[in-house]
Amino acid sequence: MLTIRNLECGYGRLPVLRGVSFDVGAESVGLFGPNGAGKTTLISALLGMVRPTAGTLELDGQNLAALSTYQIARAGIALVPQERELFPAMSVADNLELGAAYIPHARDMIDERRESVLGLFPILKERFRQLPGTMSGGQQRMVAIGRALMANPKLLILDEPSLGLQPSIVAEVFEKLAQLKTSMSILVTEQNVRESLKAIDRGYVLENGRVILEDTAEGLLHNPHVISSYLGI
Amino acid sequence: MAVKRSTILWAAVVAAAVVLILLWKPTVLVYGVQRAGLYAAVAIPMALVLGIVHIVNLAHGELMMVAAYLAYFVANRLLGLDPFVAMVPVALVMAAFGWLIYKATIKHALKAPELNQLILTFGLAIAFSQIANLAFTSQSFKLSLSYVSASATIGDVSFGVFDFVYVAVAVLLAVGLRLFLQRTRMGKAALAVGQNPRGAAIVGINVDRTYGIIFSIAVGLMGIVGSLFLTKQAIFPGVGGPYTMKSFCLVAMAGVGNIVGVLYCSLALGLSEAVINGIRGYAGWSNIVFFAIIIATILVRSYRERKR
Repeated sequence: MLTIRNLECGYGRLPVLRGVSFDVGAESVGLFGPNGAGKTTLISALLGMVRPTAGTLELDGQNLAALSTYQIARAGIALVPQERELFPAMSVADNLELGAAYIPHARDMIDERRESVLGLFPILKERFRQLPGTMSGGQQRMVAIGRALMANPKLLILDEPSLGLQPSIVAEVFEKLAQLKTSMSILVTEQNVRESLKAIDRGYVLENGRVILEDTAEGLLHNPHVISSYLGI
Repeated sequence: MAVKRSTILWAAVVAAAVVLILLWKPTVLVYGVQRAGLYAAVAIPMALVLGIVHIVNLAHGELMMVAAYLAYFVANRLLGLDPFVAMVPVALVMAAFGWLIYKATIKHALKAPELNQLILTFGLAIAFSQIANLAFTSQSFKLSLSYVSASATIGDVSFGVFDFVYVAVAVLLAVGLRLFLQRTRMGKAALAVGQNPRGAAIVGINVDRTYGIIFSIAVGLMGIVGSLFLTKQAIFPGVGGPYTMKSFCLVAMAGVGNIVGVLYCSLALGLSEAVINGIRGYAGWSNIVFFAIIIATILVRSYRERKR
């Protein structure tokens, strides 16, 4: 599925990622780290928003480094961005439809995908004709996740999905992710390690642009560094 | 559905103004609406570009001028077509020209500061008018078409009817673009790109291509407007400049990308201009009133937004 080898990239002369390597197979993978560790830069590189200076990025053997963001989306990677990036003056219905309309392997199954998304997030059925800007942060996050799921992605990436949400909504979001991991590969970056460990199979810890730790969710939960740095125990 | 009090108030004010104008000079109403049609038809493509590509095209009026010259030569010299027929090939050629302009210039300035974009399109405007000046001199060209002097009489009042074509075209453009943007896949993609280009790229929309298509459609529409403009007006290299200015003001008054709003604002400005022109000895004030209304509207809107 996703293979990253010795990835280096940054902004101008400032290096952010310094030789990052990891894989995501048919599983749910977490990427943890403090602010400034390089998580969002890694996501940006994966989506073609930042160009790598070295290393390789491949999805099912296809080189992603040469593609634009829209081509990467069409290749099968769907992103739920930190800032949600919805279309504020379009209804929830249109936001969802646009999630699939330009993805070759999803545009012929829009109705089917929509039913599946509304089944996962029933609140969106009630808000179907509403503009996202008039909805709560949690509901907007659900629209963003729903829009990404409309694309029937090979790999779903969620960048800090719990950011700015109240704890009850965070728990709901991770519960939904746990349901989804049986049907697609997931990569989630998070600072809320405790909640996300419930929804992932494996995880990586990224610090100062390098992967310093890799383990199963269970292993990370009992790792002394993770406990002291991220679980606050 | 509840109607807002402000909407009722505005409707009452407009209705009262229309009744007063009808009682005073009915032709003022006719010419005001016709003038509004011309302004709206010219401004709507600019609203489309500003709303989706987010660039103020200061070469907008000059593109109308280029289209009008093209229509003149297609209509008068090359194929001997009526401008209403010539508008089809002219629109297609202008759309292709729009694509070329986008790829060669606009595309490269989209991430640049707004001032650079303004300078770029201002430069294009100067280039187009100077090339037209070199090619055709400053002498004006005009077609002589019998149907443009068609008139109608209602009671004691006689008036020209041809200019209602501008009204029809403006309404068709507004309705057509609204349907295109809300009902078609390409239109929805364009709306998405206009609202959030990054979000659009994330869902697989080719943002650059969408910008190019929308710019090209807008320039193609200027092909239609330029051909119509030629039916009645004299054309010369500097004919487009004032329309760039008025279109920009209308688009600013209506709010970015508000195509239907451009229709309302054109109506308000067309009527106010016609009223001023209808007062003997005050015709020279029409441009002053035009801009005074725009300044007042923008100030009121800014005040309201600050209060929110």
